[in-house]
Amino acid sequence: MKIQKPTGGRRKFLVQAASVAGAGSLVSAGVSAAIAAAAEPTSEPAAASMPYQSLGPDEATFVEALVNIMCPADAYSPSGVECGLATYIDRQLAGPFGKGAGRYQNAPFRSGKPELGLQLPLTPEQFFKVGIAAANEVCVRDRGKPFDQLAAADAERFLQAVQSDHVLHDRVSLWSWFNEVVYRLFVEACFADPMYGGNRNAVFWKMIGYPGLPASHGLDVVRYRGKPYPQAKDPKTLADFT
Amino acid sequence: MVKKLPKRTVVIVGGGLCAGLISRQLTAGGIDVLVLERGGDHADGAEARLPNQRDELRWSVRQGLMQNWQRETYTLRHSRAEESLPIRWNEAFLPGEGVGGAASHWNGCAWRWAEYDPIVRTRYESRYGKAAIPADMPLQDWGTTYGELEPYHDLFEKLFGLSGKAGNIKGAIQPGGNPFEAPRRDEYPQKPLEIGEAGIIFKTAAESLGYQPFPQPAANSSGPYLNPDGQRLSQCQYCGHCERFICEAHAKATPDTLLYPLLRKRSQFEIRTYAQVLKIGYERRAKRATGVRYLDLKSGEEYEQPADIVVMAAFTMTNTRLLLLGGIGEAYNPATGHGTVGKNFCYQTLSGVSVFFKDRWINPFLAAGGSGTVIDEFNNDNFDHSALPFLGGASISAGPTGGRPIRGRSTPPGTPRWGTAWKKATAEWYAHSFGVGAQGSCYPHRENFLDLDPAYNDAYGQPLLRLTFDFRDNEVRMSQWVTQKVGEICKAMAPDLISSVEGTQGPFDTRYYNTSHVTGGTIMGAEPRFSVVSPHLQHWDAENLFVVGASVYPHNSGYNPTGPLAALALRLGDDLSRYIKRPGMLS
Repeated sequence: MKIQKPTGGRRKFLVQAASVAGAGSLVSAGVSAAIAAAAEPTSEPAAASMPYQSLGPDEATFVEALVNIMCPADAYSPSGVECGLATYIDRQLAGPFGKGAGRYQNAPFRSGKPELGLQLPLTPEQFFKVGIAAANEVCVRDRGKPFDQLAAADAERFLQAVQSDHVLHDRVSLWSWFNEVVYRLFVEACFADPMYGGNRNAVFWKMIGYPGLPASHGLDVVRYRGKPYPQAKDPKTLADFT
Repeated sequence: MVKKLPKRTVVIVGGGLCAGLISRQLTAGGIDVLVLERGGDHADGAEARLPNQRDELRWSVRQGLMQNWQRETYTLRHSRAEESLPIRWNEAFLPGEGVGGAASHWNGCAWRWAEYDPIVRTRYESRYGKAAIPADMPLQDWGTTYGELEPYHDLFEKLFGLSGKAGNIKGAIQPGGNPFEAPRRDEYPQKPLEIGEAGIIFKTAAESLGYQPFPQPAANSSGPYLNPDGQRLSQCQYCGHCERFICEAHAKATPDTLLYPLLRKRSQFEIRTYAQVLKIGYERRAKRATGVRYLDLKSGEEYEQPADIVVMAAFTMTNTRLLLLGGIGEAYNPATGHGTVGKNFCYQTLSGVSVFFKDRWINPFLAAGGSGTVIDEFNNDNFDHSALPFLGGASISAGPTGGRPIRGRSTPPGTPRWGTAWKKATAEWYAHSFGVGAQGSCYPHRENFLDLDPAYNDAYGQPLLRLTFDFRDNEVRMSQWVTQKVGEICKAMAPDLISSVEGTQGPFDTRYYNTSHVTGGTIMGAEPRFSVVSPHLQHWDAENLFVVGASVYPHNSGYNPTGPLAALALRLGDDLSRYIKRPGMLS
């Protein structure tokens, strides 16, 4: 399977969703409902057509490929790009998080044990981009192509190897880059409120059955103890109350 | 140019729970109190209103209410042999900033500690002999007793409207409560919180093994409540946004809900926000605190605030750091064992096991911070240690605290971290799993301590506090043993899947949340040689300087630390009234 381009993802997703939902046994009724809801066409523009604030076009290509590998279109959600994951990551890098807000950045800088956390003089945005360049370098070195041009299975193998520190770059710790920056942003992109650009249409909240707002469960805590919670199929987000 | 302000009677550093409770006692007697708080007021911000209160990314993941690490962090090394490095972004524990301090973003678990906790050394020695306590474990008695604190526990619980079920009223064991509870004069002010499906599963399994589960004592209000000061709490909505959040419903008892609104109406009380205290003034020869120097963060002006009495009521780490910066008392030296400031820094030893049930709806989002179910059989010295290679233990509890989706999901062991299989497991198990946690004691170790870092400064040019800390053998052994008990309970639940059963190993890791229950550094005790403050929290080297907070605990127990801290603060308020009438060392 090739890495899906964002424009072609939705149709393919619909086909997959239909076949898996038809199979019945693989997904629960709740997930099927979530799929149906997620698959509704919306009037919002596709994520890919939105301008990026931090990522340059080359970096955006990398990130889009990355989130589509980590979140392929399947029975559970559309592709990562369609879920807004690249948009989320871009906005975070462009905003206070990416600029290092709240991080102690005084010298001297020295490397240390991983348990002490990142010790780089780079901001998270800078490190994220240094990591993209380094990942592409080792992809070209070891696999003959930059990351976004790898076949999906190869890209997946590459990420698995990075995760477990089996891909070495001479200066950049790709293990640290992936596990301490990229992966955390990926998870946030999936599960943060859609207001931040990811988790579009609350697709991940529907997927797991998190009901979202307003979360005033004073009566529900007893009424739905041990039972499915109805609003879990139709989560409400910050935008629904703003 | 530092501007000198008119002298005040009592100046308190840090506008959190302790300052609120002390001020309540003092201002009731007409005594003038000024509180200096480095942060702002959370009462009217987005953090205290719907819908923005329910923003996991902003308040929890990005730590919107916490200490700004850019301005001040800590450095860490796991042993004296290592070079310390700054924790450039701390996930491990979360000091608060702003009125209410860390007690505004707490989960609300509100314990009394064991009756023997304040006499912990005596307890272990009398039960197991003097040799039972290892030489490198400077466990010590507090110089006070539970009995002396009990009236203040009672007052705190009524002020904060705690929800719970008594286990021991005046020595009579109560069914449904904690049979190991220290004797209390009264039932809890409010009935326990509702427990969810996870609590029921845990309770059934624990009972099948012969244990006695009970509801977590909690500051999340099980009903509408009117406290003795006429302050109100609303009924908890089980919204799952307690820890790391401000309760917009005023259903979580906090200083900013129950204490500061009352205090602000009293003419004797003043709180200055955005006032960053830089130094405690100290006259070495006279052995007196003179006041404090602080920076007004809004104007950039520096002030000297003279005071008759200075009370340090900041977060654990700040209390210790300000004493070290002021050169007040003798810094602890681990090589010789001499000195006391920075000694007995303790954390807590946490571990947990996740269980997964295909056919049970756990609904982790229907929860409050304190709606757990607990057993106390394996906590501290509630069980026989004579054949065991460690001291201490853990409370074991279950019950989600919110199931917030970024951080509050678990997947079965072996699940990939992304991709379709990850989504499948996440979708299948989110509403069908929960964790059983062990909150373990952490006893002092000669090599776990706080001092000033030689290389790194804060935004105001002063040395950062350095932690030399790791989980030592005693805690690792304890955690392994207790976590096996957790595993046994989990297996008795007959879950479809279970995570691995492993205790804490160390090394201490700043990249993941562990607990904010850090203690010690300005410890209390009966002897100046082994403590920073007296049993009445009076500094041995400055009788008009008092220190309060978890920094005075000589060890850390297997309970959340807020209860005894609140009792100590209320008692200190009364002690200060006595001191003002008749200065001198309190006895």
